Amino acid sequence: MATRSAEATAAAESTSPDEQGERWVAPEHSPLTVVARDLKVRYTVKRTNRTRGSGALSRLRRTQKISVGAVRGVSFTARSGEFIGIIGRNGSGKSTLLRTLAGLEAPSSGTVLTSANPSLLGVNAALLPELTGAQNVKLGALAIGLTPEQADAAFDGVVELSALGDAIDLPMRTYSSGMAARLKFAISLAASPEILMIDEALSTGDAAFMERSKRAMDELLERAGTVFLVSHAAQTIENMCSRAIWMERGQVILDGDAVEVARKYRWFAHNLAQGDTSKANGLLLDARREGWEQTEDRRQFERGSNELHWTPRHARKPPRGHRGGRRSDTTAP
Amino acid sequence: MRADADTVPQILRSLEAEGMDASHLGPIGVRPRMTRYLSELWERRHFVWMDSRHRVATQNSSNLLGNLWLVLRPLLDAAMYFLIFGVILDAHRGIDNFAAYIIIGVMMFRSTSRSISQGPGILRSNKAMIRAFSFPRAALPISAEIRDAMQMVITVAVMLAMIIVLPKHELPQVTWLLIVPIFALQSLLNLGISFLFARIGYVLPDVSQAMTVISRFLMYGSGVIFPIERFFDHPVFAAIIHANPIYQLVHMYRVALMDGAVPELRSWVVLGAWAVGLLIVGFLFFWRGEATYGDEKR
Repeated sequence: MATRSAEATAAAESTSPDEQGERWVAPEHSPLTVVARDLKVRYTVKRTNRTRGSGALSRLRRTQKISVGAVRGVSFTARSGEFIGIIGRNGSGKSTLLRTLAGLEAPSSGTVLTSANPSLLGVNAALLPELTGAQNVKLGALAIGLTPEQADAAFDGVVELSALGDAIDLPMRTYSSGMAARLKFAISLAASPEILMIDEALSTGDAAFMERSKRAMDELLERAGTVFLVSHAAQTIENMCSRAIWMERGQVILDGDAVEVARKYRWFAHNLAQGDTSKANGLLLDARREGWEQTEDRRQFERGSNELHWTPRHARKPPRGHRGGRRSDTTAP
Repeated sequence: MRADADTVPQILRSLEAEGMDASHLGPIGVRPRMTRYLSELWERRHFVWMDSRHRVATQNSSNLLGNLWLVLRPLLDAAMYFLIFGVILDAHRGIDNFAAYIIIGVMMFRSTSRSISQGPGILRSNKAMIRAFSFPRAALPISAEIRDAMQMVITVAVMLAMIIVLPKHELPQVTWLLIVPIFALQSLLNLGISFLFARIGYVLPDVSQAMTVISRFLMYGSGVIFPIERFFDHPVFAAIIHANPIYQLVHMYRVALMDGAVPELRSWVVLGAWAVGLLIVGFLFFWRGEATYGDEKR
């Protein structure tokens, strides 16, 4: 069966020894860098009803303002040395969460605490297409907060990491999207930020660049930094990250070891792509339940024994559409 | 609701209860205190300077004439207003050198009019930058003002050349040096306007629609093109006109450049008070909205 073999491949890939050996492993105890508590981001948007009613009144009522939750209650803690992948489908709130963590967007409620100013890999916003790559390296380095002296010192390293060669002296508007992505990634690492956040930036680079950028990020992690990587490609997360957070509809489904979470997400996404929606939903519920159990363990620990009798919501009533035996699907090779 | 500051100690306590050291953590995305804000702004100066320099140099690169437009635009403006008000309407009311009068008015007002018309859109047009970096957002209006001042250096050079070359030639005098402090005050005024309208325009984007009208009104009402004070005799109108910083501004440029005299103290006081007052009010107003500028607006 197609689904079976895909699952088997996924499992085989993630357990192959060389990949396992290369993957960054976070230290057990290290200082906290990012703490998020019950983050919520809501947007108010205008919704237009497509079905046309007759009469003036219904026509007037066609547009209404509705509130959309992009991030709906996300809590987690991150430590230095962790390489955290945020995974999920389009529109699951990954990028909004990242922007909120970076402090660029204020949450509707909830709090983010950080040990340093996070740097979101978005340096392209400061770059000017008319300038050459080299001029943009200088400009970008100043934009992310380096002094002119530091920018000069970092210049050679940035040019080397970007691997643009002679193209560094051409105007940036002549660059391909991959070249531009390499340059902006290289500039962002120049600041050697304590907390780096990357939003789908690595997908445009070629294989050689992926390897080099991974090395650069490993160095950053060794210097006790924290890296967040948002991607909908489970493979990237599995290969590079130590921990993964699976998001769906603005909530954390599962938070744990990158390989485990990414594999579950991949199996879910695969079933969804195959059109097997009910199976995908079952997998999602299983993962959500596993995530709930993790959180509840922690909460009970936090609150002490007086609330031990409290039953997690999912245990009171089995979720609809959930049947036994699903669980084995997610782990069977 | 904003990220509440009072829950921060609670979170820190609960983290410490779990045996984690949380003393080095601090909230993010909150408006920093004024002293901190100002020092962050100061650290940003290198970027603002380099960014402004390159943007001014490359902004016209898509035009065939390139940066020649920095000279041509104000020239064309002045020529048009001279044709309409000087030749067709004959509105000079006894002004001796009406060509110089219009050139000085139109060219020097351009700078303030740009602040008025572009101020409300400044946060919107820099959205990409705001969503990518955390830096004091006040750097954006400042950066726009610096770019404007860089262009004004060229505009002023064109202006001086024109009033020397055109008939009833004005000749360089020592008082011409006074345009430096007058322009400094004008820049402060512009910056205050930018700060004020940047936040108003962010909250209420519709304001930018009205800005061209306001800018036009100020141009005709401030004696930029014709001597407005000679159209009104009523003391109330005179008082209003004299309290207008833009009227005083163009008046001071003309006194220094055309009469070869030092502008009277009253002009300096009116312009200075407006410039400093608007800057302080505008900056505080802008700073109070700091944490909101990254939010998604729909």
